Amino acid sequence: MKVNKWRFFMVLAVAGMIAFMAGCGGDTAEDTGGSSAESEDNSTDSEDAEANDSSYPEESIEVVVPAGAGGDTDRNTRTLTQHLEGELGVDLVVQNVEGSGGSTGSSEILNADPDGYRVLAYHDGALINKLLGLTDYEVNDFEVAGISVLDQGNSFLVSGESEFNSLEDMVKYAEENPGELAVATETGSFTHLQLLALQEEAGVEFNIVDAGGASDKITALLGGQVDVVPTQIGLVGEYIESGEMKSLGVMAEERLEQFPEVPTFTEQGYDVQFDKIFFWAFPPETPENIVNTFSEAMETVVTENEEYREEINGHVVSPEYMGPEEASEFIAETQKRYQEIYENSEQ
Amino acid sequence: MAADLIAGFSSMFTPYNMLLIVTGVAMGLVFGSIPGLTATMAVAICLPITFTMDPGSGMALLMGLYIGGVSGGLIPAILLKLPGTPSSISSTFDGYPMAQKGEAGKAFGLAFVFSFLGGILSITALILISPPLAEFALRFGPIEYFAITMFALTLISSLSEGSIVKGMLSALLGISLAMVGSAPIDSFPRFTFGMGQLDAGFNLLPALIGLFAVGEILNISERKISPLTKGNTPPPKMKGFGFSLSEFFSQGWNYLRSSLMGVGIGILPGIGGGTANIIAYATAKNQSRYPEKFGTGIPDGVVASESSNNAAIGGALVPLMALGIPGDTVTAMLLGGLVIHGIQPGPLFFTNDTDIVYGIFAALIIANIAMFLFLSMGIRLFVKILSIPKHILLPIILVLCAVGAFAENNRLFDIWALLFFGILGYLFLKGKFPIAPAILGFILGPIAEENLRRGLQLTQENFWPFLTEPIAAVFWIIALLSVVLKGWKNYHQKKSLGGT
Repeated sequence: MKVNKWRFFMVLAVAGMIAFMAGCGGDTAEDTGGSSAESEDNSTDSEDAEANDSSYPEESIEVVVPAGAGGDTDRNTRTLTQHLEGELGVDLVVQNVEGSGGSTGSSEILNADPDGYRVLAYHDGALINKLLGLTDYEVNDFEVAGISVLDQGNSFLVSGESEFNSLEDMVKYAEENPGELAVATETGSFTHLQLLALQEEAGVEFNIVDAGGASDKITALLGGQVDVVPTQIGLVGEYIESGEMKSLGVMAEERLEQFPEVPTFTEQGYDVQFDKIFFWAFPPETPENIVNTFSEAMETVVTENEEYREEINGHVVSPEYMGPEEASEFIAETQKRYQEIYENSEQ
Repeated sequence: MAADLIAGFSSMFTPYNMLLIVTGVAMGLVFGSIPGLTATMAVAICLPITFTMDPGSGMALLMGLYIGGVSGGLIPAILLKLPGTPSSISSTFDGYPMAQKGEAGKAFGLAFVFSFLGGILSITALILISPPLAEFALRFGPIEYFAITMFALTLISSLSEGSIVKGMLSALLGISLAMVGSAPIDSFPRFTFGMGQLDAGFNLLPALIGLFAVGEILNISERKISPLTKGNTPPPKMKGFGFSLSEFFSQGWNYLRSSLMGVGIGILPGIGGGTANIIAYATAKNQSRYPEKFGTGIPDGVVASESSNNAAIGGALVPLMALGIPGDTVTAMLLGGLVIHGIQPGPLFFTNDTDIVYGIFAALIIANIAMFLFLSMGIRLFVKILSIPKHILLPIILVLCAVGAFAENNRLFDIWALLFFGILGYLFLKGKFPIAPAILGFILGPIAEENLRRGLQLTQENFWPFLTEPIAAVFWIIALLSVVLKGWKNYHQKKSLGGT
């Protein structure tokens, strides 16, 4: 009898757990239903769309960042959401969903309800995931709401004691010692692509070694384990100031306002140019008016909100707005360009 | 420096900042003490709130959360054998048996005092010698990391109760499960059986609370105990902190060694507090004159675990403060909390942002004291948890475990993973397999693999430098010695047993 009572409570606990799972899983359950019964879903969507015509957004919007809290993706996203809240009049809740190079988070949005209440905020990593076969969808499979930030501070750094003072020194050394120069990257990341592009452009071969994310790469450079580290220049501003690191150049079109003494790659005779794109995307089939409402709010903040512009400039990235169509085109072009770099390096 | 520290304290001694620290510690303790909710989560939740505060106040709150979160784990570890956070895994080994013997009060007393002392020692190290410590940490590249993980894995033998073979099998299973998902470096998905959800692999948290907490709860649930009695734990006796001054001083060396190990492991980015307590515990056991008593409820085990995990906090902050490099997920978020205010920690952090740096130091010390006071005041309350009938308490914990597993990454999949690991933990208990080696393998396996591959890229596929680099060589030698010594001891024990 007593044992039965005990069992009863265990069953109760399990029931509680399942209820919780079901509660949280509402979205996911509907997603799987959505793909099998798409026609049904679509009809409700158009109804939603009509109802939503002017009322979106009515409740808080979840922003999925497929990278950790405190990183630059997270930072750029949160800087914008703070100001977007004022424009849209609802809360924007940032959720960090990490895993497999960002594809865990982006897959979640790909399969989410297209009701405009879940949006992805990510960067070039999504393009590269497709390139490497980590995902089977493209960024343009989403409803792209636009681009909010272009990061032009992509730079190559060496130790302050390094004999390299320019890109040319570095390339020359690599020419004389093929495969010897240890350059850090995170395999399959944006910086990896930059290295492949420079190898191609300069006709040299580096020893490309994996050193992990941004802070791990800085550690590896400071610890003397690698010779060159490609990373975002804003992250190492203090090291440049203190003389512990030197920048060999930035991959931007023009010199940066914040680092006027650092030349561009193009200036130094190597046509390698990369801007990191930070974009916003809704699940496929999200009604156009929802995407537009969101995008217009973005435009207002990015182009007119001085407070925002100042904050984002402080992170050494540029506030740039592109609307849904322009952004989609830009992303498609970039995807094509990356594809070419990657395929050339494969040969 | 003294003047800076005083300035730091005076910036923290405003009612607002004190309130933030105390709230942070209290909330951290709650998060730490609930299996499934961790310091990382507490910091992640409060991080966005700090964006609107001034940087000093933001840091005050986060430091409180960090210290509270790491310390709170000892409560369920000692009372219920459920580690509240990865940092308190080894507090269960001796803390729980002590509580079972009616010494819960003493176990808590030891745990609080040595948590506090471990924390203070590491904060002192952080304030005084951050730069040289950070310089030293920089000398650890992939080759050194590989050697140190291999050394740590040899400690498995010390964590295996009884059968070493079972301990090794358990560790191998842990390593294999950690391999599921994207491979390090090339992110190639493996062992996923085509299931997209498995691409990201298993998270540590569901694995940890599944194996330890859910497994244990399932195990208890099948016991034919009367649900309405208050369990079979004798009521704890309590007087002061429950231990005598001579007992306190006899732990001196154990405390110092464990704290230093905590600082040392905390400094190394990527390894952190989750492993520090296990490694310190195993070392304390190996070096003890009475290793056979470990696991039966002796103070040494609690002291080793609790002083090392709090010491790891100061350690983890060293590379953050001196170099701007985060050592674990919590410090990564702290970095984010500073960066959003336009403060980029780096080599000039100490000189450019002296007020913030010393504000953080002051906040850490205050938070440590607050943690100690909260726990000392709460001691009677915590022990009361034991008098809650288990059929009411455990189901609640089970649900909280599920909440925690979900909340870490907002993925439903993690609850399924929790269930899977729970069943696995139950089978471990049934088969008398030790669980700690599995979790150690789960944490260290990926670190070893990743660093082996990175190291081989650096040396251009040459393994020889892995053995000849000085720091790595030292760890290999310690690893080898510990295995040989263990084998030697076992051999002699068997021989002398056979003789009698």
